[in-house]
Amino acid sequence: MDIDDILRDVDPVIHTIPREKRDLQDLTRAWVAERSAPELLHWPSDGLFERINNSIRRQIEKVEEMTGDMDPKTNFALIVIQTELERFKYLVRSYLRARIAKIDRHTLHYLSSDELRSRLSEMELAYATRHQALLHNHYLSSFLSSFPPGLQNLNDTAGNISMIDTPDLESAVFIRLLRDTLVEGRGVDSDGRLEMEESDIVILRWADAKPLVQLGNAELV
Amino acid sequence: MPMYGDLGNKLVQHAKRTQILPHLPPYQTELVRTVTREVRDLHRDVDSLLEPFQGSFDPAADPASACTLLVNHLSMRRNKRCLLAYHRTRTEKLEVLVWNGSDVLDLSAQQAGGANGVPGANDGGTSSLSPQEEDYVRQYGDLLAAYKGQWTDVDLTGSLEPARDLFIDVRVLKDAGEIQTEYGAINLTKNSQFYVRQGDVERLIAQGYLQKLG
Repeated sequence: MDIDDILRDVDPVIHTIPREKRDLQDLTRAWVAERSAPELLHWPSDGLFERINNSIRRQIEKVEEMTGDMDPKTNFALIVIQTELERFKYLVRSYLRARIAKIDRHTLHYLSSDELRSRLSEMELAYATRHQALLHNHYLSSFLSSFPPGLQNLNDTAGNISMIDTPDLESAVFIRLLRDTLVEGRGVDSDGRLEMEESDIVILRWADAKPLVQLGNAELV
Repeated sequence: MPMYGDLGNKLVQHAKRTQILPHLPPYQTELVRTVTREVRDLHRDVDSLLEPFQGSFDPAADPASACTLLVNHLSMRRNKRCLLAYHRTRTEKLEVLVWNGSDVLDLSAQQAGGANGVPGANDGGTSSLSPQEEDYVRQYGDLLAAYKGQWTDVDLTGSLEPARDLFIDVRVLKDAGEIQTEYGAINLTKNSQFYVRQGDVERLIAQGYLQKLG
């Protein structure tokens, strides 16, 4: 996160009304969390992206409206709005790409159970399903089709080794506490538990941090 | 006869090499075919070994055959993993090219008639993609376009660097013809320099027509 993001958090452009400001904060949060979590997080289901899409479209229209104006004052405002728009788009793009990258990495894993499937948005689900079908087809036509039938699956679990790769839930993340809570973490030699205060920042395994984040006691940074 | 798995190992080495190369090396058609054949041969061995037992094979009674079976079994699975790894590495590379907006099929076709320094081109005489890979690229391109199309206002394949400046200086490296911006048309002739809106020219920078200055 660089200084501009922080500034934008505390001092959003003047014309933003609270709802949109909250959306921007939600988006920024979701973006930060998605980028630091080792596994795919839930797609925001409260219509956040519909609202964001709408505000982006509104801003684009506004820009088009203002472009014809030759007044230097409008011109300056135009540059501010356009810059803000570009950054807004960047957030959305980066967020979506971070998700797609995770989905592409472990497609079969995220498609394997309903719980996991529910994390994807409808579009992502369609994308993931189709992508997996394409890959399977590609393998089939390249070599798999001449394999003995028993060996043509892509999800064997023979010999206790599953062919489906899963994300590493034990990798480390940083979280910031939003409430005073007890933090428990498993270590290599011994486990630790610690009474921590709000706004403390700790590093621990994602598997340990996940319940805290889901309860809203902490957020990823 | 080569050792079981030798060829699979070679495939993995190719895959490893592919990861660090800037372009996509030619598809190892022959190698893939041989490894696949090895799997089929092994499978036949297993079948003929099991045939006299009529489904009542007892590993404890015949440890030698049991061991052969196990080794064959593992070798087949190992070869399969090698093949999967090889193909996945290549498709990942192809997907990156599709995301970057380079015309992969065009690139591989161009290679026959002299490459021009575009990333992805190589010095081979024929296409470095197998026909199946060409199909895959085409289909993946469609898939990506469909997914992207649902986010019309946010160019998903745009830059992943946060925008610092709205306008940037660019130098034209190759003639790109005329482009339309909201400030009028700009004629991009080689070696000229412009101060333009980043969003308007991002694509051209990615494709190597323009160079960003400063």
